[in-house]
Amino acid sequence: MSEMKDKPNARRVLLTGDTTLEPLGRLLERNQEAPAVVTSAAPYGQVFQILLDANHSAWTFQPNVLVVWTAAHITLPSVGKLIRFEGESPAAAYEAAIAEAEQFADSVLRAADRVDMVLVPTWVIPTYERWVQTLAWRQGIGVANLIARLNLLLAEKFAAHHNIVLLDAAYWQASLTRSAYDPRMYAFAKILYSQQLFEKAAAEMKAILRGSLGQTKKVVVCDLDNTLWGGVVGDDGSHNIKLGAPDPVGECFSAFQLVLKGLRSRGIMLAISSKNDEAYALSVIEEHPAMVLRKSDFVAWRINWRDKAENLLSLAEELNLGLDSFVFLDDSPQEREQIRQVLPQVYTPDLPSSPADYASFLSTLSCFETSSIGKEDLERTTMYRAERGRKEALDLSGDVENWLNSLQIKVQAAPLCRDSLPRAAQLLNKTNQFNLSLRRLDEKSLWDWAEQPSNAAYTFDVSDRFGNFGLTGLASLSLTGSEARIVDFVMSCRVMGKKVEEALLGYTLAQAKAAGAERIMAPPVDGPRNGPAKDFFASKFSSVESGAIDPGRVVIPPQINLMEER
Amino acid sequence: MEEVIAILNEIRPAQNFSNAENFFDQGMLDSLDLTALVAALETHYDVFIDVDEIAPDNFSNLLAIKAILARKGVSV
Repeated sequence: MSEMKDKPNARRVLLTGDTTLEPLGRLLERNQEAPAVVTSAAPYGQVFQILLDANHSAWTFQPNVLVVWTAAHITLPSVGKLIRFEGESPAAAYEAAIAEAEQFADSVLRAADRVDMVLVPTWVIPTYERWVQTLAWRQGIGVANLIARLNLLLAEKFAAHHNIVLLDAAYWQASLTRSAYDPRMYAFAKILYSQQLFEKAAAEMKAILRGSLGQTKKVVVCDLDNTLWGGVVGDDGSHNIKLGAPDPVGECFSAFQLVLKGLRSRGIMLAISSKNDEAYALSVIEEHPAMVLRKSDFVAWRINWRDKAENLLSLAEELNLGLDSFVFLDDSPQEREQIRQVLPQVYTPDLPSSPADYASFLSTLSCFETSSIGKEDLERTTMYRAERGRKEALDLSGDVENWLNSLQIKVQAAPLCRDSLPRAAQLLNKTNQFNLSLRRLDEKSLWDWAEQPSNAAYTFDVSDRFGNFGLTGLASLSLTGSEARIVDFVMSCRVMGKKVEEALLGYTLAQAKAAGAERIMAPPVDGPRNGPAKDFFASKFSSVESGAIDPGRVVIPPQINLMEER
Repeated sequence: MEEVIAILNEIRPAQNFSNAENFFDQGMLDSLDLTALVAALETHYDVFIDVDEIAPDNFSNLLAIKAILARKGVSV
């Protein structure tokens, strides 16, 4: 417990299970990656008592994350019976196990509201359990068939509860080089799992916690020569680089590009930093028949003869993202070492020595973990490319007013709903600059707050003639008598500098007035980076001290088309 | 013995294992740390430590660890 003093913002993880899980707790606490974690391992063998009884002493730890790690053959008695051919018949044990699993799932559901997140490793058959292989998948009696059926049952029961995350323990087991089980340790201290499995589980749980807090990498910057293709295109020429069939080395690079394309498709941005002639390299990307990635898959590139650290900084500025969102992939150990020294916030993993392992290496990385993938993610690259279009239009128009008018900005306002909740929570937690009160709430807490009768939350989708920015605004109100308070007022940097905030504030004020408010307050919270929000609101107050908004100072810009969705 | 000390410090970073007489009696390691230590030594030195050898006495200080590894053909 002494670690608690050192980790005031740590996630508090309660471990429950039917075997000794302290080793997992220690590994979670020792793991240096964010977020910091403090753990409490409840006495084992009390899973149901802890899940069903909110007054159980285990809850005095006040966890915000609950891990429920059970072994099917221990916690579900009929699974054990099936494995040992006990009881009436295998078919009877199979059916009884399904009922027991239902009961387990219901117990987890009972406890889910007490924490922000529940992590439940799926059930697996111990790797040493051969059973009778001919019958393992037989319908109605097979043990492998049963375990699969029980895991699917859990997935169905938990489908509506996104804060319950089923963890793929079969993947953990399969990824180890040593056994996942340690019978000696089980005999010694009821530790069922091997240290290597605990290490994998701890790393994966940490990755999932990071994903749930939005601390995920957002951009992959790739080198070109010997990273996206074999060879140096400037020396070898486009026809001689190794990419695609029939050359096995070329196949390896195609496979690697395919994994990168998968990342791009789900919202991770791709960029290039390469020492090459820009025009020539881009022509290879656009025209080489075996390229899997094309120019349109990249949001930005720095193809020049400059230092790569300089390029990364320039990319970070262009994309308006912190360097801690970046991953840098380069086959050159010298380039990697330089970036590690100069830009330690960038994640610069070593690439495997053989290109044959590039694809699998990239697929193994856990730094892109996310808790949800929505429309915004799937369209991210397209949106960033649209932003380039806007910037080019500004350069051409020469005048900001003309440019703003020409954009044909549309703002769609709507009450917060279940569909928009994930993105709204993401926006609330990620935005630092245009954020009035810097409240950080997870999805469940935001929804519960907005559902209260005296509160309301609105989301804003912004688009212009170049494309859709997506859900980039969130405003919330709290009404007490005739006074309304703007609690959250958040706007994505993507739409700053276009007077969108004026439209958002105008709408919010209208909602407050419609609900009967005569005074509208907007108390700012002081943060290190939210100057833009504070300055904007300061210009709207009737006097500096009052913090009350002067409606006369709020005008929805005429060039912005504000629409309401009910 | 530096490697062994490094392995011990991975488990308990704040402790000084170099001169201690008995890690367990002195409260530097507990029985769960013992399981982590056994796993780490096995992985690092590619040895097998059997169930009847997993006892605090066999790992109580640097000399004891040196001795059990020596029995398995590893000199540290």
